[in-house]
Amino acid sequence: MTRILLIEDDAETAEVIVAELADRGFEVQWAPDGVDGLDRARAACPDAMIVDRMLPGMDGLTVIEALRKDRVGTPVLVLSALGAVDDRVRGLRMGGDDYLTKPFAIIELVARIEALLRRPMDSRETTLHVGPLELDLIERTARRDEREIDLLPREFRLLEYMMRRSDQLLTRAMLLEEVWNYKFVPATTNLIDVHMGRLRHKVDGPGDTQLIHNVRGSGFILRSRA
Amino acid sequence: MRQIQFIRSNTFLWALAVAAAFALFVVGLFAFTYWKLDDYLIARSDRMIMTRINFIADLPSGRRIGAISDHLEQDSRGVQYAGLFNGAGTRLAGNIDSLPRALDLGGAAQGVRLDLIEKSAVHGPVIRVVGRRLENGDVLVMGRNVDETHEISSVVGQALALGLLPAFCLCLLAGAWLSVRAQRRVEEVNQRVQRIVAGELRERLPEDNSDDPFGRLARIVNGMLAEMETMINALAGVGNDIAHDLRTPLTRARLALERGRTHATTLEQLQEVTDKAMAGIDQSLAIVTALLRLTEIENSRRTAGFGNVALDEILREVCDVYEPIAEDKGIGLGVVIDRNVQVWGDRDLLFEAMANLVDNAVKFTPPGGQVRLELVSEDDTALVRVSDTGPGISTQEREAVLRRFYRSDKMRNTPGVGLGLSLVAAIVKLHGFRLIIGPAPGGRIEILAWTGRASKAAACRSRTPTLEAVNQM
Repeated sequence: MTRILLIEDDAETAEVIVAELADRGFEVQWAPDGVDGLDRARAACPDAMIVDRMLPGMDGLTVIEALRKDRVGTPVLVLSALGAVDDRVRGLRMGGDDYLTKPFAIIELVARIEALLRRPMDSRETTLHVGPLELDLIERTARRDEREIDLLPREFRLLEYMMRRSDQLLTRAMLLEEVWNYKFVPATTNLIDVHMGRLRHKVDGPGDTQLIHNVRGSGFILRSRA
Repeated sequence: MRQIQFIRSNTFLWALAVAAAFALFVVGLFAFTYWKLDDYLIARSDRMIMTRINFIADLPSGRRIGAISDHLEQDSRGVQYAGLFNGAGTRLAGNIDSLPRALDLGGAAQGVRLDLIEKSAVHGPVIRVVGRRLENGDVLVMGRNVDETHEISSVVGQALALGLLPAFCLCLLAGAWLSVRAQRRVEEVNQRVQRIVAGELRERLPEDNSDDPFGRLARIVNGMLAEMETMINALAGVGNDIAHDLRTPLTRARLALERGRTHATTLEQLQEVTDKAMAGIDQSLAIVTALLRLTEIENSRRTAGFGNVALDEILREVCDVYEPIAEDKGIGLGVVIDRNVQVWGDRDLLFEAMANLVDNAVKFTPPGGQVRLELVSEDDTALVRVSDTGPGISTQEREAVLRRFYRSDKMRNTPGVGLGLSLVAAIVKLHGFRLIIGPAPGGRIEILAWTGRASKAAACRSRTPTLEAVNQM
């Protein structure tokens, strides 16, 4: 069972997060402040951590830095009411961790935790395979079974990202950040949907089994099996 | 309390210091004059004694006694002394009782105490004396009372007292007057400032038409106060706008929830209601997020994220992102790049600005229209132009669109938060670039950027925003 440590000082928020993650089959421990959180992180060795940035006693980033000093590489999702992404957070993100600004949709949090737990496919791979899909990273070509798919560069990038994280829920915010490198929320809210619509049109031809699924209100999934 | 304040006042202390320095200078001047005068008078009387003694010494010995008594008789003030003594030191003529021992015969004039026949009223008058041994063995002594110099010194002293004291007092008075005047003005300014601090933004400092520093300072401060009043009023307006814009989606959410609570009978109905409520809350959150983002950029004085940014790449990327959206709407999106250009800036922010401009252009252009992105570069400037075939921005609206939450009435029903252009303006300002809004019809917004060395300078200038920069926006 996957174990998650949540360090969050607001009991109500913590309760909702714990309940939601428990529903999805995670085992969640809750620590209400930084010092307690750090103790538990050292003692229990969770698979992933969710850490609020502003905590009584010891702030969230300090907790993470202390853990990293002990060479504990547990992936961390930082929650923060601060929108501004500063240098400390930037360093964190480089280390493969993630940052989520409050308020957030609970589905967004779950999607990001799952993404953190499932590290993407080995990046040394030159060909990616998901179900009937095959992506050649060197030739920059894509095929579905025998059918060649003609992709624009941005569509290729999107498909590559999705194939590395197949069977995972990818939220719009995640796609914007990772594929389009957006550091802000665009005014046009359906930006991703339009791009995804085009990609889906090419990947799922008429008569094909649908591979790219739209999860209502939250994001998209590339399923390896129908 | 007031007394002490007055004495401690800077102006007064300065006046005191100046008065003291002035007095010191005058005393010094008089002392010097006195000393020089004294020297001169003694030298003069020495010369006169010499002339006289030479004259008498040159006379034949028989006529000397007569000449001495003539000389003494002519002296009505009784300041001349003379004496003729024989070799044994016995007085032959004159009013000097005995030959002074200290006298160096044949030397220059010297100050010596004399035994006079008639004792003078003044004790120990200072006398300059010359003695000479004559060819027949007699000794001739002649002297002169130089007490006059004391008289002169007392005159000088009186003059000093007469001149210096009033001058010193005048200095102090002037200092006190200036100090009181300054104090009074400061006190008045203080009272007005207190009123401004208390929230009375219309209050101004007292202004007269004089050209003194105080008046000029007051005019400068009043100018600043006027500017701040306008800004604060504008901010208050923004507060109202925010409240209004937040209220609309929140009202929708509340209504949906209220209706759902009483009318929903099935799970599907309840879910529908929650979806509506969540959409309303999400819109409110989007407004808050955008507002925080705007504040973040406006307050950002950091240029840490700055580097060389290729504008052409950003334009191509923005075009890439928005092409499908434009196509879906039946709008042509084209990009024309004249030359690859680099500027000094924050890549992410510049991307955000361009994306916002294109987003707006695509949003407001009716189907069948065109949106064009152009990059025109000259020697040390680069111009990014986003033009469209939409309604554009009328002259009256030009300033208003940069205000937060402004949405043209025609656009009330177009979705969007209404912070897009303010955000662009903030980013442009942070970079020290210029935002130019072209005349309607047809939307045209340009960003004038500096390239090369001018670029960095502009970014530095932007850290100290001036009024001019604000007006340019």
